[in-house]
Amino acid sequence: MKEYLLLNLRALKGRAYPRVVGGTRELSWIFFDTILPLLTVAAYVFVYQYLGSLAQGPQKEYIGQFVGYVILGGAMTAYWMNVLWSMAAQFYWEKEIGNLQLYMIAPMSRMAVLGGMAVGGMFYTTVRAVSTIVIGVLIFGVTFSLGPPIYLILVFLLTLIALYGMGMLFASLYMLYGREAWHTSSLLTEPIYLVSGFYFPVKYMGAIVAVSASIIPITLGLDALRQLMFTETAGIHGFLPVEVELVALAVLSVLFLFLARHSLRFMENLGRKTGRLTMRWQ
Amino acid sequence: MKENLRTLLGAGWLGWQMEANWTDPFLFMIYSVAKPVSAALILVFMYIVILGGVATESTAFAYIFLGNAFFIYVGQVLFGVTWVIHEDREHFQTLKLIYISPISFYYYIIGRAGSKILIATVAVVVTLLFGIFILGIPVDAFTMDWALLVLCLTVGMACLVSIGIALAGITFMTAKHSGGINEGIAGLFYVFCGVVFPITQLPAWGQSLGYAIPVTYWLEAMRKALLPAQQLEGTGLHGIENFWLVALLAVSALFFYFLSILIFRLGDYLARRAGKIDMTTAY
Amino acid sequence: MNYAVETKDLTRIFRVKKRRRRRSESKGSEQDVTALKDVNLRIEEGELFGLLGPNGAGKTTLIKILCTLLLPTSGKAYVAGNDVEKDPYPIRRIINMVSGGETSGYGLLTTRENLWMFSQFYGIPSKEAKKRIDEMLEAFGIWDKRNAKVRTLSTGERQKANVIRGFMTDPSIIFLDEPTLGLDVNASRTIRKFISDWVRETSGRTVLLTTHYMMEADELCDRLAIIDEGGIVACDTPRNLKKTVSKASSLMFEADYLRDPDKLKGIEGIQNFTYKHNGQMNRTLLTFIVEDESAVADIVSRIVEQGAKIHSLEKREPTLEDVFVSLVGKGLA
Repeated sequence: MKEYLLLNLRALKGRAYPRVVGGTRELSWIFFDTILPLLTVAAYVFVYQYLGSLAQGPQKEYIGQFVGYVILGGAMTAYWMNVLWSMAAQFYWEKEIGNLQLYMIAPMSRMAVLGGMAVGGMFYTTVRAVSTIVIGVLIFGVTFSLGPPIYLILVFLLTLIALYGMGMLFASLYMLYGREAWHTSSLLTEPIYLVSGFYFPVKYMGAIVAVSASIIPITLGLDALRQLMFTETAGIHGFLPVEVELVALAVLSVLFLFLARHSLRFMENLGRKTGRLTMRWQ
Repeated sequence: MKENLRTLLGAGWLGWQMEANWTDPFLFMIYSVAKPVSAALILVFMYIVILGGVATESTAFAYIFLGNAFFIYVGQVLFGVTWVIHEDREHFQTLKLIYISPISFYYYIIGRAGSKILIATVAVVVTLLFGIFILGIPVDAFTMDWALLVLCLTVGMACLVSIGIALAGITFMTAKHSGGINEGIAGLFYVFCGVVFPITQLPAWGQSLGYAIPVTYWLEAMRKALLPAQQLEGTGLHGIENFWLVALLAVSALFFYFLSILIFRLGDYLARRAGKIDMTTAY
Repeated sequence: MNYAVETKDLTRIFRVKKRRRRRSESKGSEQDVTALKDVNLRIEEGELFGLLGPNGAGKTTLIKILCTLLLPTSGKAYVAGNDVEKDPYPIRRIINMVSGGETSGYGLLTTRENLWMFSQFYGIPSKEAKKRIDEMLEAFGIWDKRNAKVRTLSTGERQKANVIRGFMTDPSIIFLDEPTLGLDVNASRTIRKFISDWVRETSGRTVLLTTHYMMEADELCDRLAIIDEGGIVACDTPRNLKKTVSKASSLMFEADYLRDPDKLKGIEGIQNFTYKHNGQMNRTLLTFIVEDESAVADIVSRIVEQGAKIHSLEKREPTLEDVFVSLVGKGLA
């Protein structure tokens, strides 16, 4: 048992390594993955400012908060993109470059490899997320009214665990994909930005859509983070009480990790059966 | 010329196969439409959240919606062209083979971009129809300025492909990260070209940058072509005659064309010098 | 007795979905490709076993099944007594695999980092892993490339690193799928020598090597199986295999270009024959496995009948290639 745990910890460290040093060796990511994506976030900020100039009603006074919501949404976009492209679709890339078969014949748990990817990926994703928030504060003058820090930390951590758990589940499902993997990730971009409320509070999508979208951990995570970072408007723009969202995120974390583990095993067997585990250039 | 045409058509066919043959046509159509419509709906919801409904300040809504609809071309073409380099180099590992063949690489890229333009056209049309019939944007086929639409659409596409070629040149040099220069440049245009808000919202330096990019004039021309009688004031371009708008678009597009060729050649040269034509960088 | 590898009637069929061309064709019509057919093999511990066959014979499919990457359609396969279908996990602890012509790892890591990363997937403590890696880099003559990024290595250096990756985990059984594919003489020799030394260094180490290089198989393997179109056609030591054709003679003719070499078929006393045209020299090279040397007269007369001149005739000792030609009826190349 101890030996197996050690094996998997080493495997996790091994797979995280290229992600971390990759970020330091190909520094162009700082420009491409950090500075440039901020522009889209800035565009949405300008939209709110423009709409604010047209507004007459009560929302006019909350424009500052909406700008803050966009900044936070932009920060969390980094994690969603990382989960889609560097977790879910990663096994597909690994298959194409010939690494997947080497992972599959090794004795470690596949969860350890995915865990390594997640940990390594979180490093530069966090840089992107933090830079979005810093620029939001510096350029757009976003001010926060923070709630209890312990809640903030818990929500953030549980959101990431559930989100990367979902990424692991996707990775297992994508394992047998060819180009479908790329297109599926692409499809899960704008529609998810919409239903998960990346750029406006999810409450405005209506209860049915908001509840349905809550299966994606970032929906509730983002809503809870907004409530905890902009406490003044939490009661007006929040979807569910933070405590409820916290419990739901904990459930989603367990659920996705459990499903990912089983799905990985199932899909691996299916791949061995159909021969698609090593089939390239699909 | 005949050979270039063959390259163009061959690359277009290849691009279409890569884009479309991974699933059945029905799913592909849903996929092609779901993304742009969702992107449009994000703005619609933002609008509704702040202004209560799309009927409030309807001219502003039409400005935002139409700008966003035509911006689909920008995203798709820029993304498509730069993706050609990453996909061919790292995934199919055919970039080096195409590169050493006697065909014109420009025509190859343009051909590959052609399939993206085709898919983007479907998405733009569906988004426009959604805006017209569901959200009530008053576009009328009988009052539209068709000549302006066709002329500017053609010049605009040529301009976008040119910019795409420049980005392809830069992509020769860069590693494959999760995002990319295409995403960033599209973001740059999204902020500075008056796509979803008038450029007068930007600080003065941002406005100057916007006026230097042809996409700004192109989007304004598209709006004018579709809604000649309903133009938003205070956009920074309001009141410019169609002739001057087209002239500005043509001049800036020509400038970008030459700049793109220059950037592509430089990127190509530097990549060859650094031995990056066939590198693989996934990690 | 537990064999290192054992297969019983192992069969693998791939279902290839054909794309619909016309509406009238039924959706998803399938075409079966039999990659392996009733393969029965027993490889003992400590053996260096070769699998010889042309491209598409089923060698890689067999390796994939034994490496737990692919399931059999029917039949059984065991590695160190573990069923590949039911018990893949114990197998993965004791095996490794190296494929020729493939890269492994990430191009932006250095050779040493890449190897270290793979060592971690086998739970080798970092210190121990680095020691082994350094020793093997030295042994393979690429120590000076330890800090070079993998994407900058030459094909030979990359393949050497790939071989190190397979051996550094000290597997009990290693599967080598065309490990010297596309390499120059020196690189191939280094790899072959390493394989040969490795298996003899400690008892109980087993190698299953696939190749279509006859010389490699002859030089390295204790035993060989010849595989063609998914089936094993012979299995023995290289020496015994060559004995099967030793009663026969191998005759090589170099003649003017023959327009219709197939006319040489059916001569009494010929077990099998192959030919190769040399367009540049405008000549045809014919290899005959003959049971009765009196057939030479008939061969000569049929060549001459076609208006060709014979430039040389050579009789030589049978090689594995002759065995292959004799059994399969075609050459490997």
